Amino acid sequence: MSSTTDTTPLVVTRAPSSPWINDDWLAVWIGLLIFLASLAWLYGYDVLGWVVTTSVWIDPNAALGTVSKAYADLGGPGALVATYLALVGVLTIGVAALRANILRFVAAFTVVFVIAYASWIVGSYAQVAAVTPADLQKFGIPWSLRLTNEGGYIVALIAGLIIANVFPRFAEWLKEATRPELYIKIAIVILGAFVAVTAAGRLNLATTLIVRGVAAIIEAYLIYWSVVYFVARKWFGFTREWAAPLASGISICGVSAAIATGGAIRARPIVPVLVSSLVVVFAVVEVLILPFLAQSFLWQQPLVAGAWIGLAVKTDGAAVAGGGITESLILARSASEGIHYQPGWILGTTTTIKVFIDIFIGVWAFILGTIWTSYINPTIAGDKTKIIEIWERFPKFVLGFILTFAVGLYLALGAPQFASKLPLAVAEANTFRVIFFILTFFSIGVLSNFRKLWQEGIGKLAAVYLVSLFGFVIWVGLLISWLFFHGIKPPVVS
Amino acid sequence: MSEPDLRNELGHAPTEPLLPIEKKLIGWSLGIGLVLLVILLLINQLFPVAS
Repeated sequence: MSSTTDTTPLVVTRAPSSPWINDDWLAVWIGLLIFLASLAWLYGYDVLGWVVTTSVWIDPNAALGTVSKAYADLGGPGALVATYLALVGVLTIGVAALRANILRFVAAFTVVFVIAYASWIVGSYAQVAAVTPADLQKFGIPWSLRLTNEGGYIVALIAGLIIANVFPRFAEWLKEATRPELYIKIAIVILGAFVAVTAAGRLNLATTLIVRGVAAIIEAYLIYWSVVYFVARKWFGFTREWAAPLASGISICGVSAAIATGGAIRARPIVPVLVSSLVVVFAVVEVLILPFLAQSFLWQQPLVAGAWIGLAVKTDGAAVAGGGITESLILARSASEGIHYQPGWILGTTTTIKVFIDIFIGVWAFILGTIWTSYINPTIAGDKTKIIEIWERFPKFVLGFILTFAVGLYLALGAPQFASKLPLAVAEANTFRVIFFILTFFSIGVLSNFRKLWQEGIGKLAAVYLVSLFGFVIWVGLLISWLFFHGIKPPVVS
Repeated sequence: MSEPDLRNELGHAPTEPLLPIEKKLIGWSLGIGLVLLVILLLINQLFPVAS
């Protein structure tokens, strides 16, 4: 989900002056800043060791800590405050560049951070997160929900949903800081380095997975889109103006694809905005269901599960973070069966699929725009689609992901003097990635006001989404994921 | 557009029949997609997972 435009649905409050940077580029710069700071570790400088991390806990005093022992004196609460101050500082500078209301952002972000991170801490409580019998014994508890500590994402999402649907005025007040697009894009830029370090251990396997990711592009753009467009037009009688953004939203990558398509076919702005709102709501429903289905039925095919989440969940935020939950759940289930897969491969597969799909949004919008302005609605003189629009709609944060991936891979394979330190360096940056995932989940929840959607009368749009998603997209995604990824297993931890 | 207008539009929009160009777009997309998927599957069979 990416776009050069502001793609956050249901958000209407913005300062009138135009920003000199957009979400995509801002995510690239913040992600690179964190990645570069983590690389100082390669030269012996532990710049990010103070970042807060959460362990599975039964004693609240043991829940929080610093990611590096070098900063242990700071203590858990100190690390939490330091992390908050760093994030609010960097993000405030960023949203100032976006011409947002700074004071309102700082106030809202403070609340967002507190609730989101509190959700994460709750999700790490041993009776929610402990997985193995050894863990249960260690904490002296008879049972656990076995959600792993990444169950905290679900807690954050539910907290956001409660606010959106029970306290809508409070959700409105938080709006300046509920920016799931920005948060997930920063996380994806950081994730590039983590995926690189993971891939470097088994480069042949990683290459194979990337080649198989091409199937996802074909599926999303050529198969999903045409079927959903046909269903919307023929079965539900939608006009072309509604059917095209709807097909892109359901098939490709949710919010940004709907907005890119709406722009390309010259639809009214309200059309992609409403489709985007729908996308976010359905993504929430999917994230609450699909990872648990994957854990139950696909735990023996971990990469099929990772690819499936990438193909079925239609926003970057929900998909990539959903991949994280799926990985945790499947690793936990496998561990209980005595199989200890290396972390990172399932999430890496989901991310690869999603990034591959994102890359072609601009090309697809250009193709649709050309067809619309040349054949379907050729009346507007001089309003032909221009090839520069491909670049304008290209998701720039993908460049950040590619850059951190390339640098990470080079350092892992081409710079032996850094090879032993790199995983630790990237692990510190990855702690920020987890925090941005938490903020994404909470923000998605806060933006998902189900009642408001219904009041806007888009039940018929929801019906197309429901029929297409649960009747076609999820199952075809599962079939294709199975065909291309079954039998491929992540490396086992030795 | 106000909410009642939107509700009215979505509920009572006049039917727009599928144009030949739309049928071509749907048909060619689906056709090319299926053919490419079969080709990719064959490539996957020829070059199995590297370990």
